[in-house]
Amino acid sequence: MRLKYVLSEVMVGLWRNVTMTIAMIITMAVSLTMLGASGLMYRQVDNMKDRYYENIEVSIFLKTEVTQQQRDDLQGKLKGDPLVKEVIYENKEQAYERFKEMYQDAPALVEAVKPDQLPESFRLRLVDPEQYKQIFDKYNSEEGIQEIVDQRRLLDKIFNILGAVQNIALVAAMVMAIAALLLVANTIQVAAYSKRREVAVMKLVGASNWFIQAPFVLEAVVAGLIGALIGFGALSLAKVFLFDGSLRDLTELLTPVGWGDVLVMLPLMAGAGALVSAVTAWVTLRFYLRV
Amino acid sequence: MTKTYPKASRPSLDDVSCSIEKGEFVFFIGPSGSGKSTIIKLLLHEVTPNKGRVIVNGKDVTSMRSWKRPHFRRSIGCVFQDFRLLPNRTAYENVAFALEVIGKTKAVARRVVPEVLELVGLGGKEHRYPHELSGGEQQRVAVARAFVNRPLILLADEPTGNLDPDTSIEIMRLLDRINRTGTTVVMVTHDSNIVNQMRRRVVEIESGRIVRDQARGVYG
Repeated sequence: MRLKYVLSEVMVGLWRNVTMTIAMIITMAVSLTMLGASGLMYRQVDNMKDRYYENIEVSIFLKTEVTQQQRDDLQGKLKGDPLVKEVIYENKEQAYERFKEMYQDAPALVEAVKPDQLPESFRLRLVDPEQYKQIFDKYNSEEGIQEIVDQRRLLDKIFNILGAVQNIALVAAMVMAIAALLLVANTIQVAAYSKRREVAVMKLVGASNWFIQAPFVLEAVVAGLIGALIGFGALSLAKVFLFDGSLRDLTELLTPVGWGDVLVMLPLMAGAGALVSAVTAWVTLRFYLRV
Repeated sequence: MTKTYPKASRPSLDDVSCSIEKGEFVFFIGPSGSGKSTIIKLLLHEVTPNKGRVIVNGKDVTSMRSWKRPHFRRSIGCVFQDFRLLPNRTAYENVAFALEVIGKTKAVARRVVPEVLELVGLGGKEHRYPHELSGGEQQRVAVARAFVNRPLILLADEPTGNLDPDTSIEIMRLLDRINRTGTTVVMVTHDSNIVNQMRRRVVEIESGRIVRDQARGVYG
């Protein structure tokens, strides 16, 4: 009975002030979409790191005039280095094969390059990829080395860009969340004002505090949940039309966005939406209703 | 016990001491601003005294935590000058509302509400809205709402303030009947006619002090 009363109060409350309710839901939806997008981005970067860091190498390219002696010395040192897990030597021929494979879509480029022009290299796999700096410091001054390249550095640039986009989404989510928060506070105030007579009587006859507050808090929570659902819908549309649509080439090059990752965002968004609304409503009531 | 409101130059109630027995009928009288209404607020735990203690139904409410207040209030009924009825609900619904919001079922309400409306003399008018009732009838609905939960104490803050003398007397008869069921009635008023007719205990307050406390008293 009491549950039915509370629920019907919630529905009446949402309808009574329908323009405000819609505004509340829209801002909530936009904010939560941004939150979901940044969460998705976070997972995406994580997935990419897992996938690419596995295969990451440090390449030491040798000078073209490197001597046999220098090469053997370097190989010996690298093999004995505790930081290095694995060393693979790649000669000019192998480098050329790889080059051909990488640029098979550009035969003109492959034509223009001769095996001689490509440098020999050592490809290292490190015990801990984070220790690139030590390797660099240790071998940079060795004879016969042209350049030491950490592939991780290249990937980190991509991750930094994704990280920046993620931060922008997060900031946007937060700014929208402030707007949503103020709208919730205002809606609850209006609702409390329109029910002030009922609230006064309830306080007078000794209705419990939760019973007085629940309809208002639930009103905000319902709006928050609807906002989360709309936000999730927007995120799903973004997956279908953006990630799998116009940005398909990019996402396939990096890592495709899976439905699993998108689905995980639903509880996150719903939880954030419901919690923010509930807390805001409750705090507003503490000030406004003084129950 | 002393109560001073913030920003007030003098206490609303200054070192007042008064005890009311169970089942008594007490008038608090005095001019406007003398502190009569503050007594009601203290008894309801709407405000707390700055000094001294307020004990209601054997419980010290001075230090009562605010989350206990709702349950405490269920033992007190309250009637005001302005009735405080919900305009969009019928007489029946107004009384039933008071029961339902403290967790009583609709079945309980269906049994108890007609009974108490009959008691206050509103039999047959259950489904009228407040604006379809006279002032006296509205106050009866308010009394029914205050009494439906069978409180130990009924507080009445100038319940006849908006009513003509004849209607006022009817309301007083009703309060008297409720008092006879064993309910303590505390009534704040400055209606001398009523006080003089009822011949009950009178406590007179002036400028926050008790100047007279008389069994079977009259006004001034």
